[in-house]
Amino acid sequence: KMTINTLAKGGWYREQMTCFRKMEKVIVAMQDPDMGMKMRNQRLLITVIPHAMTGRDVIDWLIQKYNICEEEALHVGGMLVRYGYIYPLKEPRSLVLRADETPYRFQTPYFWTSTRWPASELDYAIYLAKKNIRKQGELMEYEKERYSLLHKRINHTWDFVVMQAREQLRASKQRRKADRIVLECQEQAYWLINRPPVRSLTLHYSAVLYHTVLSCVLRHCTNLHFIHIESCRRALGRNRVKSSICLEGFVKFSEQYQNHDPIMQGCLPSNPWISDDTAHWTMNSEIVPVPTRLRVERWSFSFMELLNDPIGRREFMTYLEKEFSAENLCFWQACEDIRHGESSKIIQKVEDVYKNFLAPGAARWVNIDSKTMDKTLEGIKHPHRFVMDDAQLHIYFLMKKMNKSNKFQKYVNWKKL
Amino acid sequence: MPLVNNKVGDDCTVGTDKALADGKALVDSLIKVVACYRHLASCVGSCTDSLQLRDELRQTREKAQNLAVSICQHLTSHLRDKSLPEEQRKEMELLWVAFSSGLELLHVDMCKVFSMGDIFSLANSASLVQTGLQGGGSEVAARALSLPDLNQARAPEAGLESQERSTMEQEISQIDHMIDDMEMKVNVLRWMVEPHGPQYADPLSSTDSASLALLSVDEEQPGHQPQSQHSHMVVFVVLFAVVLVATTLSVCVVFFS
Repeated sequence: KMTINTLAKGGWYREQMTCFRKMEKVIVAMQDPDMGMKMRNQRLLITVIPHAMTGRDVIDWLIQKYNICEEEALHVGGMLVRYGYIYPLKEPRSLVLRADETPYRFQTPYFWTSTRWPASELDYAIYLAKKNIRKQGELMEYEKERYSLLHKRINHTWDFVVMQAREQLRASKQRRKADRIVLECQEQAYWLINRPPVRSLTLHYSAVLYHTVLSCVLRHCTNLHFIHIESCRRALGRNRVKSSICLEGFVKFSEQYQNHDPIMQGCLPSNPWISDDTAHWTMNSEIVPVPTRLRVERWSFSFMELLNDPIGRREFMTYLEKEFSAENLCFWQACEDIRHGESSKIIQKVEDVYKNFLAPGAARWVNIDSKTMDKTLEGIKHPHRFVMDDAQLHIYFLMKKMNKSNKFQKYVNWKKL
Repeated sequence: MPLVNNKVGDDCTVGTDKALADGKALVDSLIKVVACYRHLASCVGSCTDSLQLRDELRQTREKAQNLAVSICQHLTSHLRDKSLPEEQRKEMELLWVAFSSGLELLHVDMCKVFSMGDIFSLANSASLVQTGLQGGGSEVAARALSLPDLNQARAPEAGLESQERSTMEQEISQIDHMIDDMEMKVNVLRWMVEPHGPQYADPLSSTDSASLALLSVDEEQPGHQPQSQHSHMVVFVVLFAVVLVATTLSVCVVFFS
């Protein structure tokens, strides 16, 4: 049911935390002196350790307390074991709940899964060092591998790891033998869950495993690290828009263009495909003496509409010439030409643009802010199709502002008539 | 933070050697206290949780914090001294790295204790988890505080719990600040630091387990070892004498019979 499929930790993490808290409530309910679990003693040779329970006890308690069937109790109990709230005493690596005499014990809250501080590499290194010091050669194969890996990865703090391991061992030697056994079992159970032997995703869905894998990958490949940083930076810079606002925009667009859509409104004088009369096409061709009313209306929808329409562009050019700012539109057109034109001609075109528009003292010098100008001049040294993009955008916005000015709107309205 | 550089700069290497030894002793102490704190923290919420445990946690935490503050001052002042010779600097950086790792562990444990204090209030002892532990952690706390025996006579008051919680919040953020401060003030390149020890550590020697039962104050240990060595010498001499007497006797017996 739970899968690791999103980078966004938010919702899925919250879901996990809620599940853990519910499991913890069950565990706490089991502690009740009257209505809780029936505890037994665990006998090991000469030591007796209290607070053990059989799998059967757990299942029976769950059935009785929550009024559920055996299958469901097995499932819930299985989750308790899988996430480390209860650990098996006989076969520590087998994290399943058996409905028989197999003994289990409660895990101490310090090692509960929901304590929000994931097991760190430092902790794991200290644990493995402890295990090794306690009995040399007791590390399993996969543990030895990980130990070597950690030795490389956090090499700088290795002295600390060894010293802390020794101190922790010395501290636990202060306790009686029975307690020492319990503490060792607790720690072992914790690490079997947080660093499972086989790295298979079916064992333990959690942020911990995900982070381990991700950090592993990131640490091993410094390239990937940089790529990751770059993509994060780009993602941060992207605009985010609520889907409701997107949909509103779409609805507005549809409403605005409804009258202009030949399928929705029909086209005048007649649909050429039906009536074989090509008047509609002739009237709407690129260059006509008199543009249709609908066409002129579209110019007022957005500046891009105006620029994309050849007649509109011409009108705008005329207006700009009157304002002595025609070089802006010329520059913009030249940049469009570079962007969409032939690759072989790019270098030549960029040269021309620089000579005509950007060089100091140029005939048709355009007013660009210094930062963009510097960046563009840098880019011109290695010209490519999009080298003029920033400057073009700057001029575009400049022209857009001029378009918005009342003068031009009046001009267009006059033209409509 | 004022730079204490003039004095250190004028000292010869003997001065910095002493500083190094002091720093090492402090860091060793901190490592011990952090280990003990972790040990005690793992009992919170279990059936051995009690007012006494919480009090021991508090005392251990205070000791750890005092050590941390002194180490921080000590190391920062020395590492910011530009006239520190290269070898000494390397050693100091090792101590620095050990200190920051220890602080990391302490911080995590303090946060865990704080959040578990939320869930497990001692007023409701029926909800404490029965984990199978039977004894308390007093010996561990004694080890941390380097005391022969914790003062059992002083029974901790119940009101201490809430007071401790609010103090804890402050202390956790203080440690946070300390960690941040450290990173800002001193630039230790972790990938340049090389540890001394081997990858696989030797098992704990028997003398370790012998000294565990007794006081573990650092100054005590060097005094201990010559004493045991001395007793070993005496035993050896006595044995040798016995063997000598036995051989002479047997030689006499053989000679005269």
